[in-house]
Amino acid sequence: MVTSPEFLSAATLRAALLADREQALTRLYRQAFPLVRRHVCGHGGTAEDAQDVFHDALVILYEQAVGGQLTLIASASTYLLGIGRNLWRHEQRRRARLPQDALPDDPSALEAEAAPETDETRFAVLDYVEQLGARCKNILLAFYYFQQPLTQIAADHDYRSVRSATVQKFKCLERLRNSVRRAFRSETIDY
Amino acid sequence: MRPELERLRLIEQQLLNSSTALPAEDWQLRLLLDGELAADTAAQQQLYQGLRLAGRRQLRRELADIHARLYELPASPWARLWQRMKPW
Repeated sequence: MVTSPEFLSAATLRAALLADREQALTRLYRQAFPLVRRHVCGHGGTAEDAQDVFHDALVILYEQAVGGQLTLIASASTYLLGIGRNLWRHEQRRRARLPQDALPDDPSALEAEAAPETDETRFAVLDYVEQLGARCKNILLAFYYFQQPLTQIAADHDYRSVRSATVQKFKCLERLRNSVRRAFRSETIDY
Repeated sequence: MRPELERLRLIEQQLLNSSTALPAEDWQLRLLLDGELAADTAAQQQLYQGLRLAGRRQLRRELADIHARLYELPASPWARLWQRMKPW
């Protein structure tokens, strides 16, 4: 069996994630998940814990890589194992303090519970993003979270120019803002 | 672009610190002259934070799909048939 080569530099990893996210993440998954699973399962965790920890580690790695804040001094797999070890240690300490608490299936539910009142809008936005049409949702997430360049977004969504894709992006952002505004305005009137 | 969209772009350039953002003193002047700009900027910042949460949720879904593809065995034809017959 031919194994795919490791991502050895942050720039290579960033380029791979932006060019074909699914393929790059699948490669990382194949290379690093067995290492993290072995560590978590060897230190009192279950296979499900290993999966949760690994997903958290990949989210951290993704955001650092596409945000240009990642410096790799070892392979990406070693880096993911390091993050996974820290996250699992942190989770074990948390469970020791609160033994009855199980993690919710969706970690954002936990974030929402712990959020102070000022964060309400942020979590409301989360719901309104889900209610946008698929096209708007994809464009906004591609640009603002996945940090894909507008040239790529234009090509992926069949826009003739970057300018058309830019205008569409702002129209989608306006729709989202108006939905959130309307909701908060009606809440203010209701209560 | 419509003026409303241009306003979103102006605020975005400041918030995302883009190369086309206004110099700090010009931005401060705009804030003084435009009574709604500060509130609109804060609202737009909240949108970006919400989009970040939504992006994370989307990424986790994609990771769960990859996990299922790599590590979960596809159901056998008998298991699939059993699932279809199950209601009775």
